Amino acid sequence: MILFFQQWYGELLKLFARRRTYIGFGAFVALEIVILLLIKKFGMGPIQKAIVGSGESFEYYFSALTVASTVMGFSVFLLGALFLSLVAGDIVAKEGEDGHMRLLLARPVSRFRLLLLKYLTCTGYAFFLIQFLAWTSFLLGLVLRGWGGGYFAIVPEVSVVAFYDWGPGLQRYACSSLALGLSMTTVSSIAFFLSCFRIKPAAATIGALTYILVDFILRNSGFMDSYQHFLVTKHMANWGRILAETIDWPLVWRGYAVVFGVNLTLFTLGYAVFESRDLKS
Amino acid sequence: MALLEVRHLTKRWPTGRMALDDVSFEVQQGEILGLLGHNGAGKSTIMGITLGMVRPDTGEVRIGGRSVQKDRGGALQQIGAIYEAAVFYDYLSGWQNLRVLCSLSGWWDEAEVKRVVQMVNLSRAIHQKTATYSHGMRQRLALAQALLPQPKILLLDEPTDGLDPEGIREFRELILHLRQHQGMTIMLNSHLLGEIEQMCDRCVIIKDGKKVFAGPVPSQEKTRRIFQLETSDIGLAREVLDRAGATMDKHGIVEVPLNMEPHDLVAALVHGNVQVSAWQPHRRTLEELYMGLSSKS
Repeated sequence: MILFFQQWYGELLKLFARRRTYIGFGAFVALEIVILLLIKKFGMGPIQKAIVGSGESFEYYFSALTVASTVMGFSVFLLGALFLSLVAGDIVAKEGEDGHMRLLLARPVSRFRLLLLKYLTCTGYAFFLIQFLAWTSFLLGLVLRGWGGGYFAIVPEVSVVAFYDWGPGLQRYACSSLALGLSMTTVSSIAFFLSCFRIKPAAATIGALTYILVDFILRNSGFMDSYQHFLVTKHMANWGRILAETIDWPLVWRGYAVVFGVNLTLFTLGYAVFESRDLKS
Repeated sequence: MALLEVRHLTKRWPTGRMALDDVSFEVQQGEILGLLGHNGAGKSTIMGITLGMVRPDTGEVRIGGRSVQKDRGGALQQIGAIYEAAVFYDYLSGWQNLRVLCSLSGWWDEAEVKRVVQMVNLSRAIHQKTATYSHGMRQRLALAQALLPQPKILLLDEPTDGLDPEGIREFRELILHLRQHQGMTIMLNSHLLGEIEQMCDRCVIIKDGKKVFAGPVPSQEKTRRIFQLETSDIGLAREVLDRAGATMDKHGIVEVPLNMEPHDLVAALVHGNVQVSAWQPHRRTLEELYMGLSSKS
């Protein structure tokens, strides 16, 4: 087990020693600041309408948590899938293309273990990036609105609208960011799976982004209403249920069982593809 | 004792091209074996199969008695390799690269790593990013990673490719030092005849996926006796030599059988009325052997 962690440390070292990894973090912070400035300038029109329409005080619920939730939602929607696909799409394909894989596999390590290390690294990165996003959004929210107030949570995809005071709201915000982190590992899994083929890293990234986008469009098109359970973004959206005043745990567990099942299947298929490959330039 | 056994390897690429056709040979403990052939002959495929990165259609490679195809982890514990061009992580230092690679072998001994780094003369640059390394430094780092942790056999795939003459000489001296002082067994893959000739005890020549020669490197031969005959009547000389049981090629190169003395052959030539203008020992070069095999096939 210690050996496994030593080897995983090596993978993490490679990931976090690259400037590109930090560009991802930097891009998110820049995007969050832009969204925050837009909120400051134009206000939170639709959110304000929803709060006032529910008979609550906008001044009370226009808090750091509500702002953070909005900033995080937009940031994940605009850049989340892109950066997760970029990292996971690179993780096997780029190493194969550059020739690092030949250096690694000249060692007495199995392809399964090597892929497992890489998979844990890219899904771990996805989880970590979302947490980073959640808490930098929160910090920016604090800068704008200060500590305290209520929390207005709205996730239309799972029909959740809820009002919380500061303490419980903060707890729900933290839990939902953990759940969102888990959901987003599926984006990494898709890119990782494609990355196991003998393709260019960019092809794996574009392939994963395309799949997620098509899945998302189909889910929102109305034509797939009867087949929504086949669409992975539907199950990924279960993170939003954590924000409901009464959490529907069976639905949450079912959604995450599907997410983990999809992740496991993608890893297994990726491994099967990689295992069957001859590694030679 | 054979430390590495290559047994009946056959490999056909999905394109239909035959990469290897029933290739077998052994590498004995303590020897340096050269794998020689033109580009695309199948040398790197043999290396790839030996490292478990390429799957053979039939046959297997055994390292220290362990089959790479059945017990890759166990077999590769005994091996260090530079397979194709060693590409390091440019954004990591040499030391970090070694750490990442050694962790995959489940091993890290700082003192031993320092010793090997010193041996390959990289001590001063080991904490710099490998992006700043010259090609020669990268090759030395590649050798360092192959030597960690203390393999029984080294596989070197075109290790001097792209090096300048000084770098080649330095690398060659390092390899010979390893054999001399550590008794290292080495399989060296190259298309450079001079490199094989200067470093190897034996060589295996691969041509279009087939083994066409396996034996001592000609310059290292101790048992064969080869002479250069100069005569104006090469046809008559060949007849006389044939009768005597010796062989001669069209350039007058005569191989003296082991049961015969060279001066007996000269006497036979003189008695057969052959005008012998010169008879001198001839050292056959690897180039002659290689070109001879190429023209035959």
